[in-house]
Amino acid sequence: MTTGFHRAELLDRLGIGVIVALAVIALALLLLPAAIVVIMSFDTRGYISFPPAGFTLDWYYKVFNQPVLVNAMLTSIKVGVYVTLLCIALGVPTALACVRGDFRGATALSVFVLVPHMVPGIVLGVAVLFAGALFGIGPSIWLQSISLATYVMAVMVRTVMARLQRLDPLLEQASANLGATRWQTFRTVTLPLLLPAILAGAVFTFIEGFDNLSVTIFTHGYRDRPLPVELLAIVQNTNSPLVAAVSSVQILLAMLALGVISLTIGLDRVNE
Amino acid sequence: MTRSLPRRLLDEILSGSGIWPAVPAIVVLLVVAVIPFAILLSLGFSEITVARGVIVSQDFSLRYLTTALTDPLYHTTFQRSLTLALMTTFFCVLLGYPVAYLFLIGKPWVRRVILVLTIAPILTSGIVRTYAWIIILGGRGVVNSVLLDLGLISAPLRIINTQWAVVIGMVQVHLPVMILPLIAVMSRHDRRLDEASANLGASRLGTLWNVVLPLSIGGLGTGAALVFTLSYTTFVVPQLLGGGNYLNAATMIYEQVVYSLEWSKGAVTALILMSTCLIVLLIFAWLTNLGTRWTRVAQR
Repeated sequence: MTTGFHRAELLDRLGIGVIVALAVIALALLLLPAAIVVIMSFDTRGYISFPPAGFTLDWYYKVFNQPVLVNAMLTSIKVGVYVTLLCIALGVPTALACVRGDFRGATALSVFVLVPHMVPGIVLGVAVLFAGALFGIGPSIWLQSISLATYVMAVMVRTVMARLQRLDPLLEQASANLGATRWQTFRTVTLPLLLPAILAGAVFTFIEGFDNLSVTIFTHGYRDRPLPVELLAIVQNTNSPLVAAVSSVQILLAMLALGVISLTIGLDRVNE
Repeated sequence: MTRSLPRRLLDEILSGSGIWPAVPAIVVLLVVAVIPFAILLSLGFSEITVARGVIVSQDFSLRYLTTALTDPLYHTTFQRSLTLALMTTFFCVLLGYPVAYLFLIGKPWVRRVILVLTIAPILTSGIVRTYAWIIILGGRGVVNSVLLDLGLISAPLRIINTQWAVVIGMVQVHLPVMILPLIAVMSRHDRRLDEASANLGASRLGTLWNVVLPLSIGGLGTGAALVFTLSYTTFVVPQLLGGGNYLNAATMIYEQVVYSLEWSKGAVTALILMSTCLIVLLIFAWLTNLGTRWTRVAQR
């Protein structure tokens, strides 16, 4: 009987071991590619070949001295900022209405706002391009920004809504009881309490504005080529560590974003 | 005390009990999403003339739709997209669920590492993450160099520009989206249930199968739906790792709209892409529902 027990115990350990091993493989798979990109960006040779033959920062120097890339980065930063500002201006009041609203269809509204983010980006991009063409509005940095804001507004609304739902209504009532006007209450009580969520939402919307390709590729201006469009072209046409250096800059940006999210709402609240 | 009209208006908005703070957003969503979708839909059933990037005429026609539905190129392309997306979803479940389980049983530092490794890629550009696979799988890439050095192969393997390269890239790019909803479920999971199960003599595998898995079917369904939608409609990975000759539905739309300027065709392809995606998602939802019901029976 004891041998049977041991066999069952052994099988159990083996099963759990396999699962944990798969998890470790998955985690390595998530980490390694980024690490390899960063390592290759320091190579001294003009082509990608593993392992790197030396160490140099030349490629980074080149990235920031190529007008095409610098302009593309600046354009993408602009788009990221526009998208974020639009999402804050439109999304935060919407979150307030969704949570506080006592009108008919408040629930329907909170679903409606999420829809554009569930539609494939490529379909939204094509739809906006065609609609613009029908009314004589061509692709531009503005069309790109408003389309992306529509696409990611859901993230801002959801993050702020999650925070609002946990907010103690007594705090605002106390402020009102003390004679504050609604504006004073909003400015001194509600807004500061919502700020971490707005910041975290802003990180996501900025990154989407900066990195998105599926909507961007159909809506961006021909003169203001954003970084993802430029990057797609150079990845397809060049084989030098320059691409790895541009990529490493973007990985650095992602790390910064990760830091901000971890300090504002905390990483464990990301998918609420 | 009388207050100015703007101030009263502001108070009305800030009270937040009316629909009004949401009105600007609703208008934008109508103009930038709803109306464009309606137009896209109408273009799928039209014959249009485009001059200098502006649509100058639009007449009802089923020509493009019927051509697309009978075109063998469409059949193979959509079949390929579907296979690719389903394979990606399968491997993401296979690799993602163990990570979620490790999150459940792991110590706080393990949980923190998992969160960082899962969220960081979501904040990194898809092009960058796909580019990494060009370095890894390329002719002089990491895999080939290591295998050559170990003497396991004598000439570099051709991995990039094959279907497997596309699958590997897709799985890696979309894995975080599988893991996040599962982690959300796992962090709400009551560990006392597992202890009860263990006290009743269940092995850890038994607890995983009978307690943890049934309670995380919802997260599994959400994750799978997200991974499927993204991998069915992405064009970065097939474009970069498929070597330009690997056509899926998304790259097809891109070529029709941006390169050959066949907008009616593009509209039809986009509509087929959306409707087929929706059908698969409904099947996923039905399966998830079925799974949840099965687990309710199991819990009795």
